Amino acid sequence: MNSENHDALVVGGGLVGAAIAYGLQRQGLRTLLLDEGDVAFRASRGNFGLVWVQSKGLGAPHYQRWTRGSAEEWPSLAAELQERTGIGTGLHQPGGVHICLSGEEFEKRGDYMARLQREAGNLGMEYRMIPGAEARDMLPGLGPKVAGVSWTPYDGHASPLYLLRALHTAFTGLGGRYQPNARVERSTAAPQDFSVEAGGIRHRAPRVVLAAGLGNADLAPRFGLSAPVRPERGQILVTERARQVLPMPTTTIRQTEEGSLMLGDSKEDAGFDLGQNPEIMRQIARRAVLSFPWIAELNLVRAWSALRVMAPDGLPIYDQSERFPGAFTANCHSGVTLAGTHANRLAPMIAAGALEPEMAPFTARRFDVRHAA
Amino acid sequence: MEYDLAILGAGPAGMSAALEAAGLGLSVLVLDEQPAPGGQIFRGVERAAADPALAGEYAAAGAELARRFRAMPGIDYRPETQVWHIDAEAGLLSLRGPEGAPRGGGTARAARILLATGAQERPVPIPGWTLPGVMSAGAAQILLKQAGAVPKGRLVLAGQGPLLWLLAAQLARAGKAPALLLETTPRGALRHALRQGGLWQGRAMLAKGAALVWEARRAGMKIVSGVRGLRAEGEGSLRRVAWEGGGTECDTLLLHEGVIPATHISRALGLAHEWDAAQRCWRPVLDAWGASSAPRIAIAGDGAGIGGWQAAAEAGSLAALDAAHRAGKLDAAARDRRAAPHRAAMAEALALRPFLDALYAPAPEVLAPRDDATTVCRCEEITAGQVRQAARLGATGPNQVKAYLRAGMGPCQGRMCGTTVAALIAETRGASMEETGVLRPRAPYKPITVGELADLPEEELA
Repeated sequence: MNSENHDALVVGGGLVGAAIAYGLQRQGLRTLLLDEGDVAFRASRGNFGLVWVQSKGLGAPHYQRWTRGSAEEWPSLAAELQERTGIGTGLHQPGGVHICLSGEEFEKRGDYMARLQREAGNLGMEYRMIPGAEARDMLPGLGPKVAGVSWTPYDGHASPLYLLRALHTAFTGLGGRYQPNARVERSTAAPQDFSVEAGGIRHRAPRVVLAAGLGNADLAPRFGLSAPVRPERGQILVTERARQVLPMPTTTIRQTEEGSLMLGDSKEDAGFDLGQNPEIMRQIARRAVLSFPWIAELNLVRAWSALRVMAPDGLPIYDQSERFPGAFTANCHSGVTLAGTHANRLAPMIAAGALEPEMAPFTARRFDVRHAA
Repeated sequence: MEYDLAILGAGPAGMSAALEAAGLGLSVLVLDEQPAPGGQIFRGVERAAADPALAGEYAAAGAELARRFRAMPGIDYRPETQVWHIDAEAGLLSLRGPEGAPRGGGTARAARILLATGAQERPVPIPGWTLPGVMSAGAAQILLKQAGAVPKGRLVLAGQGPLLWLLAAQLARAGKAPALLLETTPRGALRHALRQGGLWQGRAMLAKGAALVWEARRAGMKIVSGVRGLRAEGEGSLRRVAWEGGGTECDTLLLHEGVIPATHISRALGLAHEWDAAQRCWRPVLDAWGASSAPRIAIAGDGAGIGGWQAAAEAGSLAALDAAHRAGKLDAAARDRRAAPHRAAMAEALALRPFLDALYAPAPEVLAPRDDATTVCRCEEITAGQVRQAARLGATGPNQVKAYLRAGMGPCQGRMCGTTVAALIAETRGASMEETGVLRPRAPYKPITVGELADLPEEELA
C-alpha cells in the first residue's frame, strides 16, 4: 500500500472538518482532509444556516462564550473566504428574534433570556423582550397570534452550502488536499504518530482531528478519545422565492439571499432514519403560518431531513487524547454558527498542540460517571 | 379505508393494472396528475382521438383503453391529483387535489402501491437549448394533443428516436410539415443495431416505424443524416440552428433524443436502482412482477425501463396479478396461469427494443455536453463548465454538486439536469455512472403551499 506523510489529518469534510482543515492549512500545516463520498449522513448539507447566539448555552456559560466568539469571528472569516475564493457566504448579522406564539411562551422566554444574561457575567449580553405590537412594526407581516419576540443584536445567518464550497475551495487553494471517497478503514495511534488507511492509501501524520460527525462515535475510541454522539433528526421546508421582506432571521424562519423562505426546526429521535415525516412537516408549516400568515400562499418546493450530531447534553465536545497526544475530536450540531471559532480559534490551538484552558469544560470526560462524581 | 392497491399514473400501465386488479375484486385507487386518463402517450385521448393528425394507434388503442378504464366499477379514479409524499412503510400517501390539498387530511392508505409514472424525455443540452423557440419534441406533441396547436414559423426537428418520426408525421398531417429533420443517429448505427436480433418477432413494430419514416419523406421533409455538433443560435430568441458542416434559419427547433424512466419518486423512496448501459439511464431493480426492493412498492411501465406502451400495459397487468396474489385473492398457481399470456405479449412488445436501443443510443455529447458554456441546470443556470470545476474540486457525485452549485435545487428538482450532471462528473473524474451515482430527491415530489400543508382552521389564524 502506498504511504503518504502529512502534518495533519482531518477526518470529515463537512463544515466542522473543512473549517478546521482550512485553519490548519492557513497556519502552514500540510493538511489532508479525508471525506466520504456522494452519499453519507452529511449534517452539513442539511444545516438551516443560522449564525445563532440566543438560545445557546443556558447553564453552560463556556458554550455561550464560544458561540458569541464565533459570531464575532464570522465577519473576518467571511471576508477572507470571499477574497480567497470569490465565493460569498451570504453572511448577514442584523440581529435576530425568537418568536413566541402565546403569552405563556413569551413569559418563559423572558425568564430564559434573563438567566442567559446573568450567566454571561462580564461578557454581558444585550437583549430585549419585544411585545406583539412593537414586534409587528419591526417585522412586516407578523401574525396576530404572535405574543412577542426576544431579540439580540448578535444573531445572523449565512448559506451553509456556499460556506462549505468556500471552505473547500480556500483550503485546496492554499495547497491543502481534499480526498473524497476516502472513508477511514484501518488506523493506528501512538503519541504524535497516527496512521489511517483510506481510499487505498496509508496516511501518516503527527496530528489527527476527528470531525466525522456521527462517525466520530466509532472513530474516537481508536484514538484514545470518546465521542458519545447520537443522531437527532431535524426537518426543514423551503418555499419558492419571494421578494425580500424579512429584515432579520428568526429561530425557525429565515429568508435566504435568493429570496426563499426556510422553515425549521424540528427535533425527533428517529435513529439513523433519514426519512421525512409529513406530520412533523405540518407542524413546521403551522408554526410558520401562525408567525407570518402570508407564508401560507407560498409554494413549498423543497424539504429535507438531516441528522444533527448530538452529545448527551446537547453541547459540543472538543478534546485532545490523553493517551495519544496529537489526536483531537470536534463534535457539534452548529457547523455554521461555530465555523468562525473552528477556523480562527480552534485550528490554531490544534496547530500549537494544546487546547486552551477555556476549552476544558467541553471535554467528553464530563460524561464519565466517576469523573463527574 | 385502506385500498388494496393505489396506482400512481393513469397511462397504459396504470389503467391496465387498475382494470386487472378491479376485475379480481381489489379495491383500487388511481391517482393521476392529468385531468383525463391516458398518460403521456395517450394524453387527452378521449377528446383528441377524432383529430385526423393523431390517427393510428393513439386514437384506436388509447381511446379503447380509456373507455374500459372509465367503465370499470371498483376503481376510485382521482384526476388532477398529485402525490407529494409516500410513506412506503406505512402505505400512506399524501395528496394534493385539484383545489389544493383537502382540508383535514389529504392522505390515503393502501396495502400496495404501484408506481406507473412513465417516462420523461431525455434532456438534450446543446448550446443554446434554453433560447425561446427551442422546445422538446414531447412538448410540441403535448400542444398538438391538448390544444391541436402546431409551432409557428420555420420548423426544424433534430435528434432521433421513434417519437421524433411519429411527431414529424403527425405535424405533416396537421399541415405543418417540418422544413428539415436533422437526424443525429450516427452512420453505422444501423449495422450495429441489426446485429441485436429481434427483427422477426418485432416485424410489426418495425413496419410501423418504416411507414412513419416513409410518410415523413413523402410529405416533402428534407432529412440530413448523421448530424453532429448541434447548436441553437440567436440573440434573445432562436434564429438559426447549426451543426458540423451546415446551418439554417429557423423559428422553432424541436429536440428529441429518446425517453428515460421517470424515477423521481422511486429514487426519493430510496429503492434500489441500477444503471442501464443499453438505454443510458437509471432504472429501478425489480422482480418479474415489478416488485421493488421495498415491501409495499411495485413499478410498472416505462418508469421501470423504456419498453413502449404495449409492454407497459402488460407489465401493469402483471403487477396487478401480483397485488391480487398478495391480497389473498389469487393463489400462486392461478396468478402464474393468468400471467402467461401477458408475459408472451410483453416479450413480443419488447422484441425490437435491443434493436431500437442500439440504433438510437444517444451520443456521449448528449449525456455530457462538450462546450463548457452550455447550460445544464436550467432552473439555477449552471453550466457544464461549473459542474466540471466542482468535480475537480472534489464532488464525486450529483448530490455533492447540488450542495456546491445548487444544480438540481430549482422547480424541476433535478429531473432535467440530474443525469447530465452525473455524466459530466463521471467524465471529469474518469469514473463510471454507477460509481458517480444518482441524485436522491426528497418530498415534496410536487410543490404544495405552506398553507395547504399547515391545514389550519380559520379560527386558529385570527
